[in-house]
Amino acid sequence: MSATPVGRSKPAGRLFGLIALAGSFLCACVTAWPSAIVAQQGVTVPDFTIDSKSAWLMVGDDLLPPPSGPGPISFDKRYPYVDNGAARRTGTQPTYRVADLSNPILLPWAREQMRKANEWVLAGKVPFRARERCYPAGVPGWVIYTLAEPIFVLQTAKQVTMINQGGPEVRRIYLNVPHSQNPKPSWYGESVGHYEGNDTLVVDTIAISTKTFVDSYLTPHTDQLHVVERYKLQNDGKAMEVLITVDDPGAFTTPWSAIQRFRRVPRQWTEDICAENNIDFLHYEVMPLPQADKPDF
Amino acid sequence: MGVFWFFAGIGSALTAMLAIPALSGSAYAETPDISGTYWASEYHAKIQLVGGGELPLTPAGKAAYEKNTAGLKDGSITDAARKYCVPDGLPRVLATPYPFEIIQAPPGQVTIIHELNHQVRVIAMDKPMPTAREQTTFPFYNGHSIGHFEGDTLVIHTAGFNEKTFVDATGAPHTDEMTTVERIRRVSPTQLEDVITIHDPQYYSRDWQARFVYNLRTDVRLEDYVCGEPHRDLSQVAGVRRP
Repeated sequence: MSATPVGRSKPAGRLFGLIALAGSFLCACVTAWPSAIVAQQGVTVPDFTIDSKSAWLMVGDDLLPPPSGPGPISFDKRYPYVDNGAARRTGTQPTYRVADLSNPILLPWAREQMRKANEWVLAGKVPFRARERCYPAGVPGWVIYTLAEPIFVLQTAKQVTMINQGGPEVRRIYLNVPHSQNPKPSWYGESVGHYEGNDTLVVDTIAISTKTFVDSYLTPHTDQLHVVERYKLQNDGKAMEVLITVDDPGAFTTPWSAIQRFRRVPRQWTEDICAENNIDFLHYEVMPLPQADKPDF
Repeated sequence: MGVFWFFAGIGSALTAMLAIPALSGSAYAETPDISGTYWASEYHAKIQLVGGGELPLTPAGKAAYEKNTAGLKDGSITDAARKYCVPDGLPRVLATPYPFEIIQAPPGQVTIIHELNHQVRVIAMDKPMPTAREQTTFPFYNGHSIGHFEGDTLVIHTAGFNEKTFVDATGAPHTDEMTTVERIRRVSPTQLEDVITIHDPQYYSRDWQARFVYNLRTDVRLEDYVCGEPHRDLSQVAGVRRP
Protein backbone atom coordinates (compact mmCIF):
# COMPACT_ATOMS: atom_id res chain seq x y z
CA MET A 1 0.00 0.00 0.00
CA SER A 2 1.25 3.47 -0.80
CA ALA A 3 2.83 4.98 2.28
CA THR A 4 2.80 8.53 0.97
CA PRO A 5 -0.60 9.64 2.32
CA VAL A 6 0.45 8.64 5.84
CA GLY A 7 2.18 11.97 6.23
CA ARG A 8 -1.13 13.74 5.73
CA SER A 9 -2.65 12.38 8.91
CA LYS A 10 -1.92 15.55 10.92
CA PRO A 11 -5.53 16.31 11.89
CA ALA A 12 -5.69 13.04 13.76
CA GLY A 13 -2.85 14.09 16.03
CA ARG A 14 0.64 12.79 16.53
CA LEU A 15 -0.37 9.73 18.53
CA PHE A 16 -2.87 8.61 15.97
CA GLY A 17 -0.35 9.39 13.29
CA LEU A 18 2.19 7.13 14.92
CA ILE A 19 -0.36 4.40 15.40
CA ALA A 20 -1.45 4.78 11.80
CA LEU A 21 2.12 4.63 10.64
CA ALA A 22 2.90 1.58 12.72
CA GLY A 23 -0.33 -0.06 11.73
CA SER A 24 0.15 0.53 8.06
CA PHE A 25 3.58 -1.05 8.12
CA LEU A 26 2.74 -3.89 10.45
CA CYS A 27 -0.57 -4.75 8.96
CA ALA A 28 -0.25 -3.88 5.31
CA CYS A 29 -0.95 -7.49 4.42
CA VAL A 30 -4.44 -7.46 5.90
CA THR A 31 -5.42 -3.90 5.07
CA ALA A 32 -8.54 -3.49 2.99
CA TRP A 33 -7.64 -1.75 -0.24
CA PRO A 34 -9.45 1.52 -0.82
CA SER A 35 -12.28 0.73 -3.18
CA ALA A 36 -12.58 4.21 -4.60
CA ILE A 37 -10.46 7.13 -5.69
CA VAL A 38 -11.48 10.74 -5.89
CA ALA A 39 -11.19 12.22 -9.34
CA GLN A 40 -10.19 15.83 -9.88
CA GLN A 41 -13.75 17.11 -9.63
CA GLY A 42 -14.06 15.52 -6.21
CA VAL A 43 -16.32 12.76 -7.45
CA THR A 44 -15.65 9.34 -6.00
CA VAL A 45 -15.06 6.73 -8.69
CA PRO A 46 -14.23 3.03 -8.59
CA ASP A 47 -10.51 2.39 -8.16
CA PHE A 48 -9.24 -0.11 -10.73
CA THR A 49 -5.69 1.15 -10.29
CA ILE A 50 -5.00 0.52 -6.59
CA ASP A 51 -1.34 1.59 -6.73
CA SER A 52 1.84 1.33 -8.76
CA LYS A 53 2.63 -2.13 -7.45
CA SER A 54 -0.38 -4.16 -8.52
CA ALA A 55 -1.96 -5.13 -11.80
CA TRP A 56 -4.60 -7.38 -13.34
CA LEU A 57 -4.01 -10.84 -14.71
CA MET A 58 -6.45 -12.66 -16.98
CA VAL A 59 -7.67 -15.96 -15.60
CA GLY A 60 -7.87 -17.49 -19.07
CA ASP A 61 -7.46 -16.50 -22.70
CA ASP A 62 -10.87 -17.47 -23.99
CA LEU A 63 -14.12 -15.52 -23.82
CA LEU A 64 -16.44 -17.28 -21.36
CA PRO A 65 -20.16 -17.83 -21.98
CA PRO A 66 -22.60 -15.32 -20.42
CA PRO A 67 -25.14 -16.36 -17.77
CA SER A 68 -27.81 -16.48 -20.49
CA GLY A 69 -28.38 -15.71 -24.13
CA PRO A 70 -26.20 -16.10 -27.21
CA GLY A 71 -22.55 -16.54 -26.35
CA PRO A 72 -19.07 -16.50 -27.88
CA ILE A 73 -17.43 -19.03 -30.15
CA SER A 74 -15.81 -21.90 -28.29
CA PHE A 75 -13.90 -24.96 -29.50
CA ASP A 76 -15.26 -27.76 -31.64
CA LYS A 77 -16.04 -30.59 -29.22
CA ARG A 78 -14.31 -33.04 -31.58
CA TYR A 79 -11.05 -31.12 -31.09
CA PRO A 80 -10.88 -30.04 -27.45
CA TYR A 81 -8.70 -27.02 -26.85
CA VAL A 82 -5.90 -27.57 -24.33
CA ASP A 83 -3.95 -24.43 -23.42
CA ASN A 84 -0.34 -24.52 -22.27
CA GLY A 85 -1.28 -24.27 -18.60
CA ALA A 86 -3.82 -27.08 -18.80
CA ALA A 87 -1.32 -29.19 -20.72
CA ARG A 88 1.29 -28.72 -18.00
CA ARG A 89 -1.19 -29.54 -15.26
CA THR A 90 -2.56 -32.64 -16.94
CA GLY A 91 0.57 -33.87 -18.67
CA THR A 92 -1.07 -33.77 -22.08
CA GLN A 93 -0.21 -32.08 -25.34
CA PRO A 94 -1.38 -28.48 -25.84
CA THR A 95 -3.46 -27.89 -28.94
CA TYR A 96 -4.39 -25.03 -31.20
CA ARG A 97 -7.95 -23.85 -31.32
CA VAL A 98 -10.49 -25.31 -33.74
CA ALA A 99 -13.65 -23.21 -33.74
CA ASP A 100 -17.15 -24.60 -33.18
CA LEU A 101 -18.84 -23.57 -36.41
CA SER A 102 -22.26 -24.72 -35.20
CA ASN A 103 -22.56 -21.61 -33.02
CA PRO A 104 -25.71 -19.88 -34.36
CA ILE A 105 -24.28 -16.36 -33.94
CA LEU A 106 -22.24 -16.67 -37.16
CA LEU A 107 -23.44 -15.31 -40.48
CA PRO A 108 -22.58 -17.60 -43.42
CA TRP A 109 -19.59 -15.58 -44.70
CA ALA A 110 -18.04 -15.48 -41.24
CA ARG A 111 -18.60 -19.22 -40.80
CA GLU A 112 -16.99 -19.90 -44.16
CA GLN A 113 -13.94 -17.79 -43.33
CA MET A 114 -13.57 -19.63 -40.04
CA ARG A 115 -13.94 -22.99 -41.75
CA LYS A 116 -10.80 -22.14 -43.70
CA ALA A 117 -9.03 -21.13 -40.49
CA ASN A 118 -10.05 -24.48 -38.96
CA GLU A 119 -8.72 -26.36 -41.99
CA TRP A 120 -5.41 -24.53 -41.63
CA VAL A 121 -5.06 -25.76 -38.05
CA LEU A 122 -6.26 -29.28 -38.85
CA ALA A 123 -3.62 -29.43 -41.58
CA GLY A 124 -1.04 -29.06 -38.81
CA LYS A 125 -0.27 -25.40 -39.33
CA VAL A 126 0.11 -22.65 -36.75
CA PRO A 127 -2.87 -20.28 -36.50
CA PHE A 128 -2.45 -16.52 -36.24
CA ARG A 129 -2.43 -15.11 -32.74
CA ALA A 130 -2.08 -11.39 -32.38
CA ARG A 131 0.05 -11.63 -29.23
CA GLU A 132 2.49 -14.08 -30.76
CA ARG A 133 2.96 -11.98 -33.88
CA CYS A 134 3.09 -8.62 -32.06
CA TYR A 135 -0.12 -7.26 -33.56
CA PRO A 136 -2.57 -5.22 -31.47
CA ALA A 137 -5.32 -7.11 -29.69
CA GLY A 138 -8.31 -5.12 -30.90
CA VAL A 139 -11.55 -4.98 -28.94
CA PRO A 140 -12.84 -7.19 -27.36
CA GLY A 141 -9.67 -9.21 -28.07
CA TRP A 142 -7.99 -6.92 -25.51
CA VAL A 143 -9.43 -8.95 -22.63
CA ILE A 144 -8.02 -12.27 -23.87
CA TYR A 145 -4.72 -11.10 -25.33
CA THR A 146 -2.33 -12.93 -23.05
CA LEU A 147 -2.34 -15.19 -20.02
CA ALA A 148 1.03 -14.27 -18.64
CA GLU A 149 1.28 -10.51 -18.93
CA PRO A 150 -0.41 -8.10 -16.52
CA ILE A 151 -2.63 -5.19 -17.40
CA PHE A 152 -2.01 -1.88 -15.65
CA VAL A 153 -4.89 0.58 -15.36
CA LEU A 154 -4.18 4.31 -15.16
CA GLN A 155 -7.15 6.42 -14.07
CA THR A 156 -7.26 10.17 -14.44
CA ALA A 157 -10.21 12.54 -14.50
CA LYS A 158 -10.71 12.51 -18.26
CA GLN A 159 -9.18 9.24 -19.34
CA VAL A 160 -8.59 5.62 -18.43
CA THR A 161 -5.44 4.18 -19.96
CA MET A 162 -4.94 0.43 -19.99
CA ILE A 163 -1.49 -0.97 -20.64
CA ASN A 164 -0.81 -4.62 -21.36
CA GLN A 165 2.83 -5.08 -20.38
CA GLY A 166 3.30 -7.64 -23.13
CA GLY A 167 4.06 -5.75 -26.30
CA PRO A 168 3.46 -3.35 -24.67
CA GLU A 169 -0.05 -2.59 -25.91
CA VAL A 170 -1.94 0.54 -24.93
CA ARG A 171 -5.59 1.52 -25.24
CA ARG A 172 -7.31 4.67 -24.10
CA ILE A 173 -10.86 5.28 -22.92
CA TYR A 174 -12.08 8.87 -22.94
CA LEU A 175 -14.44 9.53 -20.04
CA ASN A 176 -17.79 11.29 -20.14
CA VAL A 177 -17.58 12.37 -23.77
CA PRO A 178 -19.61 11.26 -26.81
CA HIS A 179 -18.14 9.37 -29.76
CA SER A 180 -16.63 11.45 -32.55
CA GLN A 181 -18.76 12.08 -35.63
CA ASN A 182 -16.78 9.85 -38.00
CA PRO A 183 -13.95 8.16 -36.13
CA LYS A 184 -11.22 6.73 -38.35
CA PRO A 185 -11.01 2.93 -37.95
CA SER A 186 -8.05 1.89 -35.82
CA TRP A 187 -6.71 -1.21 -34.07
CA TYR A 188 -8.36 -0.34 -30.75
CA GLY A 189 -11.16 1.73 -32.20
CA GLU A 190 -12.58 4.73 -30.40
CA SER A 191 -13.49 4.02 -26.78
CA VAL A 192 -15.56 6.29 -24.59
CA GLY A 193 -16.58 5.42 -21.07
CA HIS A 194 -18.16 6.35 -17.78
CA TYR A 195 -18.35 4.98 -14.27
CA GLU A 196 -21.49 3.43 -12.88
CA GLY A 197 -21.92 3.18 -9.13
CA ASN A 198 -18.88 2.49 -7.02
CA ASP A 199 -17.64 -0.57 -8.81
CA THR A 200 -18.15 -0.41 -12.60
CA LEU A 201 -16.46 1.14 -15.62
CA VAL A 202 -18.54 1.01 -18.81
CA VAL A 203 -16.61 1.26 -22.09
CA ASP A 204 -18.27 1.74 -25.47
CA THR A 205 -16.11 1.08 -28.54
CA ILE A 206 -16.67 1.61 -32.26
CA ALA A 207 -14.48 2.11 -35.36
CA ILE A 208 -12.45 -1.04 -34.75
CA SER A 209 -10.24 -2.03 -37.66
CA THR A 210 -11.43 -5.11 -39.55
CA LYS A 211 -7.83 -6.32 -39.39
CA THR A 212 -8.57 -7.46 -35.83
CA PHE A 213 -10.38 -10.60 -34.74
CA VAL A 214 -13.08 -10.68 -32.12
CA ASP A 215 -11.58 -13.62 -30.22
CA SER A 216 -8.86 -16.29 -30.19
CA TYR A 217 -10.82 -18.39 -32.72
CA LEU A 218 -10.21 -15.80 -35.45
CA THR A 219 -13.86 -14.81 -35.52
CA PRO A 220 -14.05 -11.93 -38.00
CA HIS A 221 -16.11 -8.76 -37.86
CA THR A 222 -17.11 -5.85 -40.06
CA ASP A 223 -16.80 -2.09 -39.61
CA GLN A 224 -20.20 -2.17 -37.92
CA LEU A 225 -18.72 -3.82 -34.82
CA HIS A 226 -19.92 -2.19 -31.60
CA VAL A 227 -18.59 -3.48 -28.29
CA VAL A 228 -19.65 -2.56 -24.78
CA GLU A 229 -17.46 -3.73 -21.91
CA ARG A 230 -18.60 -3.47 -18.31
CA TYR A 231 -15.59 -3.81 -16.00
CA LYS A 232 -16.79 -4.56 -12.49
CA LEU A 233 -14.73 -4.80 -9.32
CA GLN A 234 -15.48 -7.78 -7.14
CA ASN A 235 -14.36 -9.28 -3.85
CA ASP A 236 -13.05 -6.02 -2.32
CA GLY A 237 -11.11 -5.18 -5.45
CA LYS A 238 -9.23 -8.46 -5.52
CA ALA A 239 -11.03 -9.54 -8.67
CA MET A 240 -12.57 -7.95 -11.71
CA GLU A 241 -15.12 -9.30 -14.16
CA VAL A 242 -15.91 -7.81 -17.51
CA LEU A 243 -19.23 -8.42 -19.22
CA ILE A 244 -18.90 -7.84 -22.94
CA THR A 245 -21.71 -7.34 -25.43
CA VAL A 246 -20.87 -7.58 -29.10
CA ASP A 247 -23.10 -6.27 -31.84
CA ASP A 248 -22.22 -6.50 -35.53
CA PRO A 249 -25.11 -7.11 -37.92
CA GLY A 250 -22.52 -7.53 -40.69
CA ALA A 251 -21.00 -10.63 -39.10
CA PHE A 252 -23.44 -12.01 -36.54
CA THR A 253 -27.07 -13.10 -36.60
CA THR A 254 -27.69 -11.54 -33.19
CA PRO A 255 -25.98 -9.45 -30.54
CA TRP A 256 -24.14 -11.76 -28.16
CA SER A 257 -22.28 -11.45 -24.91
CA ALA A 258 -19.33 -12.97 -23.08
CA ILE A 259 -17.42 -12.77 -19.81
CA GLN A 260 -13.78 -12.52 -18.85
CA ARG A 261 -12.32 -12.50 -15.36
CA PHE A 262 -9.18 -10.96 -13.91
CA ARG A 263 -7.42 -11.28 -10.59
CA ARG A 264 -5.36 -8.60 -8.95
CA VAL A 265 -1.72 -9.52 -8.53
CA PRO A 266 1.25 -7.74 -6.96
CA ARG A 267 3.27 -6.80 -10.00
CA GLN A 268 5.72 -4.11 -10.91
CA TRP A 269 6.39 -2.84 -14.40
CA THR A 270 9.00 -4.57 -16.48
CA GLU A 271 9.86 -4.01 -20.12
CA ASP A 272 8.57 -6.85 -22.27
CA ILE A 273 9.16 -5.96 -25.89
CA CYS A 274 7.28 -8.24 -28.26
CA ALA A 275 9.10 -7.11 -31.39
CA GLU A 276 12.45 -8.47 -30.26
CA ASN A 277 11.10 -11.99 -29.87
CA ASN A 278 9.31 -14.48 -32.08
CA ILE A 279 11.00 -13.32 -35.26
CA ASP A 280 11.41 -16.86 -36.43
CA PHE A 281 8.78 -19.30 -35.22
CA LEU A 282 10.55 -22.66 -35.57
CA HIS A 283 10.35 -22.23 -39.35
CA TYR A 284 6.56 -22.58 -39.32
CA GLU A 285 4.57 -20.65 -41.87
CA VAL A 286 3.32 -17.76 -39.78
CA MET A 287 2.46 -14.12 -40.24
CA PRO A 288 5.66 -12.05 -40.26
CA LEU A 289 6.11 -9.62 -37.39
CA PRO A 290 5.18 -6.05 -38.22
CA GLN A 291 8.20 -4.31 -39.68
CA ALA A 292 8.96 -1.27 -41.78
CA ASP A 293 10.85 -1.83 -45.02
CA LYS A 294 11.56 1.88 -45.07
CA PRO A 295 12.03 3.88 -41.87
CA ASP A 296 8.94 5.85 -40.87
CA PHE A 297 10.83 9.16 -40.83
CA MET B 1 -0.55 -9.51 21.10
CA GLY B 2 -4.24 -8.61 20.98
CA VAL B 3 -3.49 -4.97 21.78
CA PHE B 4 -0.79 -5.00 19.14
CA TRP B 5 -3.16 -6.12 16.42
CA PHE B 6 -5.88 -3.79 17.70
CA PHE B 7 -3.60 -0.79 17.24
CA ALA B 8 -2.28 -2.16 14.00
CA GLY B 9 -5.82 -2.54 12.74
CA ILE B 10 -6.83 0.97 13.78
CA GLY B 11 -3.71 2.32 12.17
CA SER B 12 -4.43 0.62 8.89
CA ALA B 13 -8.04 1.71 8.88
CA LEU B 14 -7.07 5.31 9.60
CA THR B 15 -4.40 5.21 6.97
CA ALA B 16 -6.84 3.92 4.43
CA MET B 17 -9.49 6.48 5.38
CA LEU B 18 -7.08 9.37 5.31
CA ALA B 19 -5.45 8.19 2.14
CA ILE B 20 -8.55 8.37 -0.01
CA PRO B 21 -9.19 12.14 0.08
CA ALA B 22 -5.48 12.76 -0.40
CA LEU B 23 -5.57 11.28 -3.87
CA SER B 24 -6.70 13.18 -6.90
CA GLY B 25 -7.28 12.24 -10.51
CA SER B 26 -3.68 12.93 -11.41
CA ALA B 27 -1.58 11.67 -8.54
CA TYR B 28 -1.28 13.69 -5.38
CA ALA B 29 -3.09 16.97 -4.92
CA GLU B 30 0.03 18.90 -3.95
CA THR B 31 2.12 17.52 -6.81
CA PRO B 32 2.84 19.90 -9.70
CA ASP B 33 0.71 19.01 -12.71
CA ILE B 34 2.79 18.36 -15.81
CA SER B 35 0.33 15.86 -17.28
CA GLY B 36 -0.98 16.22 -20.80
CA THR B 37 -0.43 15.37 -24.44
CA TYR B 38 2.68 16.94 -25.92
CA TRP B 39 4.09 17.19 -29.44
CA ALA B 40 7.38 18.59 -30.66
CA SER B 41 7.36 21.10 -33.50
CA GLU B 42 10.77 20.16 -34.84
CA TYR B 43 12.82 17.03 -35.35
CA HIS B 44 16.58 16.56 -35.57
CA ALA B 45 18.10 13.25 -36.59
CA LYS B 46 21.38 14.37 -35.02
CA ILE B 47 21.18 15.23 -31.35
CA GLN B 48 21.61 18.94 -30.61
CA LEU B 49 23.87 19.70 -27.67
CA VAL B 50 23.11 22.48 -25.23
CA GLY B 51 25.69 25.15 -26.01
CA GLY B 52 26.24 23.73 -29.48
CA GLY B 53 29.27 21.83 -30.71
CA GLU B 54 29.95 18.16 -31.31
CA LEU B 55 29.55 15.16 -29.03
CA PRO B 56 32.56 14.97 -26.65
CA LEU B 57 33.47 11.45 -27.74
CA THR B 58 36.33 9.53 -26.18
CA PRO B 59 38.50 7.50 -28.58
CA ALA B 60 36.38 4.43 -27.75
CA GLY B 61 33.22 6.45 -28.33
CA LYS B 62 34.53 7.77 -31.63
CA ALA B 63 35.33 4.24 -32.79
CA ALA B 64 31.85 3.03 -31.78
CA TYR B 65 30.19 5.95 -33.58
CA GLU B 66 32.20 5.32 -36.77
CA LYS B 67 31.31 1.64 -36.64
CA ASN B 68 27.61 2.47 -36.24
CA THR B 69 27.47 5.04 -39.03
CA ALA B 70 29.33 2.76 -41.42
CA GLY B 71 27.14 -0.22 -40.48
CA LEU B 72 23.90 1.74 -40.87
CA LYS B 73 25.12 2.90 -44.27
CA ASP B 74 26.13 -0.51 -45.65
CA GLY B 75 23.26 -2.34 -43.95
CA SER B 76 25.38 -4.50 -41.67
CA ILE B 77 23.78 -2.75 -38.69
CA THR B 78 19.98 -2.48 -38.50
CA ASP B 79 18.22 0.48 -36.95
CA ALA B 80 15.89 -1.83 -35.03
CA ALA B 81 13.85 1.04 -33.58
CA ARG B 82 12.76 2.03 -37.11
CA LYS B 83 12.70 -1.40 -38.80
CA TYR B 84 11.18 -3.56 -36.04
CA CYS B 85 9.79 -0.76 -33.88
CA VAL B 86 11.49 -1.75 -30.67
CA PRO B 87 11.84 1.16 -28.23
CA ASP B 88 14.12 4.04 -29.18
CA GLY B 89 15.67 4.28 -25.71
CA LEU B 90 17.05 7.40 -24.10
CA PRO B 91 17.80 10.03 -25.18
CA ARG B 92 16.66 9.20 -28.73
CA VAL B 93 13.00 8.83 -27.77
CA LEU B 94 12.99 12.44 -26.62
CA ALA B 95 13.52 13.50 -30.24
CA THR B 96 10.31 11.78 -31.35
CA PRO B 97 8.32 13.70 -33.98
CA TYR B 98 5.16 11.97 -32.70
CA PRO B 99 3.02 13.11 -29.78
CA PHE B 100 3.28 11.52 -26.35
CA GLU B 101 1.35 11.61 -23.09
CA ILE B 102 2.47 12.25 -19.55
CA ILE B 103 0.10 10.62 -17.10
CA GLN B 104 0.58 11.22 -13.38
CA ALA B 105 -0.93 7.92 -12.35
CA PRO B 106 -1.16 5.52 -10.69
CA PRO B 107 -0.27 7.08 -7.32
CA GLY B 108 3.47 6.87 -6.85
CA GLN B 109 4.21 6.85 -10.56
CA VAL B 110 4.56 9.08 -13.59
CA THR B 111 3.88 7.25 -16.83
CA ILE B 112 5.07 8.51 -20.20
CA ILE B 113 3.42 6.88 -23.20
CA HIS B 114 4.69 7.53 -26.70
CA GLU B 115 2.67 7.14 -29.86
CA LEU B 116 5.89 6.08 -31.64
CA ASN B 117 6.22 2.32 -31.15
CA HIS B 118 3.74 2.56 -28.22
CA GLN B 119 6.68 2.92 -25.87
CA VAL B 120 5.92 3.12 -22.18
CA ARG B 121 8.26 4.73 -19.68
CA VAL B 122 7.44 4.11 -16.05
CA ILE B 123 8.92 6.63 -13.61
CA ALA B 124 8.74 5.36 -10.05
CA MET B 125 8.17 8.22 -7.62
CA ASP B 126 7.91 6.01 -4.57
CA LYS B 127 10.71 3.51 -4.98
CA PRO B 128 14.50 3.55 -4.83
CA MET B 129 16.59 2.91 -7.94
CA PRO B 130 16.92 -0.83 -8.59
CA THR B 131 20.25 -2.19 -7.43
CA ALA B 132 23.19 -2.41 -9.81
CA ARG B 133 22.63 -6.15 -9.92
CA GLU B 134 18.98 -5.71 -10.91
CA GLN B 135 19.97 -3.17 -13.54
CA THR B 136 22.48 -5.48 -15.16
CA THR B 137 20.23 -8.54 -14.86
CA PHE B 138 17.26 -6.77 -16.43
CA PRO B 139 18.56 -3.97 -18.63
CA PHE B 140 15.76 -2.01 -20.34
CA TYR B 141 15.66 -0.12 -23.64
CA ASN B 142 14.37 2.92 -21.79
CA GLY B 143 16.28 2.09 -18.60
CA HIS B 144 15.02 2.01 -15.03
CA SER B 145 13.73 5.40 -13.95
CA ILE B 146 13.02 6.98 -10.60
CA GLY B 147 11.73 10.50 -10.15
CA HIS B 148 10.93 13.25 -7.70
CA PHE B 149 9.75 16.84 -7.91
CA GLU B 150 12.01 19.76 -7.12
CA GLY B 151 9.59 22.67 -7.04
CA ASP B 152 7.76 22.51 -10.35
CA THR B 153 10.41 20.37 -12.02
CA LEU B 154 10.20 16.60 -12.39
CA VAL B 155 13.70 15.19 -11.97
CA ILE B 156 14.20 11.71 -13.43
CA HIS B 157 17.27 9.58 -12.85
CA THR B 158 17.62 6.66 -15.26
CA ALA B 159 20.12 3.79 -15.31
CA GLY B 160 20.20 0.14 -16.35
CA PHE B 161 20.05 0.54 -20.12
CA ASN B 162 20.66 -2.19 -22.65
CA GLU B 163 23.09 -1.51 -25.48
CA LYS B 164 20.60 -2.09 -28.31
CA THR B 165 19.75 1.56 -28.83
CA PHE B 166 21.43 4.64 -30.27
CA VAL B 167 21.70 8.07 -28.71
CA ASP B 168 20.20 9.53 -31.89
CA ALA B 169 19.11 8.56 -35.39
CA THR B 170 22.63 8.98 -36.77
CA GLY B 171 23.88 6.09 -34.63
CA ALA B 172 25.63 8.00 -31.84
CA PRO B 173 26.60 5.30 -29.33
CA HIS B 174 26.24 4.67 -25.63
CA THR B 175 27.26 1.90 -23.29
CA ASP B 176 25.15 0.01 -20.79
CA GLU B 177 26.79 2.10 -18.09
CA MET B 178 25.12 5.28 -19.35
CA THR B 179 23.10 7.14 -16.75
CA THR B 180 20.86 10.10 -17.43
CA VAL B 181 19.22 12.88 -15.43
CA GLU B 182 16.21 14.63 -16.92
CA ARG B 183 14.71 17.86 -15.64
CA ILE B 184 11.19 18.23 -17.00
CA ARG B 185 9.05 21.31 -16.39
CA ARG B 186 6.45 23.56 -17.93
CA VAL B 187 8.28 26.60 -19.27
CA SER B 188 5.00 28.27 -20.20
CA PRO B 189 1.34 27.29 -19.87
CA THR B 190 1.61 25.56 -23.23
CA GLN B 191 5.21 24.33 -23.41
CA LEU B 192 7.15 21.57 -21.73
CA GLU B 193 10.93 21.35 -21.56
CA ASP B 194 13.08 18.26 -20.97
CA VAL B 195 16.77 18.90 -20.39
CA ILE B 196 18.70 15.65 -20.26
CA THR B 197 22.23 15.18 -18.98
CA ILE B 198 24.13 12.19 -20.33
CA HIS B 199 26.81 10.55 -18.23
CA ASP B 200 28.69 7.77 -20.02
CA PRO B 201 32.42 8.14 -19.32
CA GLN B 202 33.47 5.22 -21.50
CA TYR B 203 32.23 6.95 -24.63
CA TYR B 204 32.02 10.60 -23.61
CA SER B 205 34.87 12.60 -22.05
CA ARG B 206 32.45 14.83 -20.12
CA ASP B 207 28.78 14.94 -19.22
CA TRP B 208 26.75 16.74 -21.86
CA GLN B 209 23.20 17.97 -22.22
CA ALA B 210 20.44 18.15 -24.80
CA ARG B 211 17.21 20.14 -24.53
CA PHE B 212 13.84 19.24 -26.01
CA VAL B 213 10.76 21.44 -26.09
CA TYR B 214 7.23 20.22 -26.70
CA ASN B 215 3.90 21.95 -27.17
CA LEU B 216 0.93 21.03 -25.02
CA ARG B 217 -1.70 19.72 -27.43
CA THR B 218 -5.14 19.44 -25.88
CA ASP B 219 -6.49 18.96 -29.43
CA VAL B 220 -4.56 15.73 -30.09
CA ARG B 221 -5.38 12.16 -29.15
CA LEU B 222 -2.65 9.56 -29.43
CA GLU B 223 -3.21 7.01 -32.20
CA ASP B 224 -2.39 3.32 -32.50
CA TYR B 225 0.97 2.61 -34.08
CA VAL B 226 1.94 -0.60 -35.86
CA CYS B 227 5.30 -0.93 -37.55
CA GLY B 228 5.22 -0.49 -41.32
CA GLU B 229 1.72 0.94 -41.52
CA PRO B 230 0.94 4.48 -42.65
CA HIS B 231 0.89 6.75 -39.62
CA ARG B 232 -0.20 10.24 -38.79
CA ASP B 233 0.76 13.27 -40.84
CA LEU B 234 4.01 14.78 -39.54
CA SER B 235 4.20 17.65 -42.00
CA GLN B 236 3.80 20.20 -39.21
CA VAL B 237 6.98 18.91 -37.54
CA ALA B 238 9.91 20.76 -39.10
CA GLY B 239 12.81 18.56 -40.10
CA VAL B 240 10.85 15.34 -40.67
CA ARG B 241 11.66 13.78 -44.01
CA ARG B 242 9.65 10.70 -44.88
CA PRO B 243 11.20 8.34 -47.40
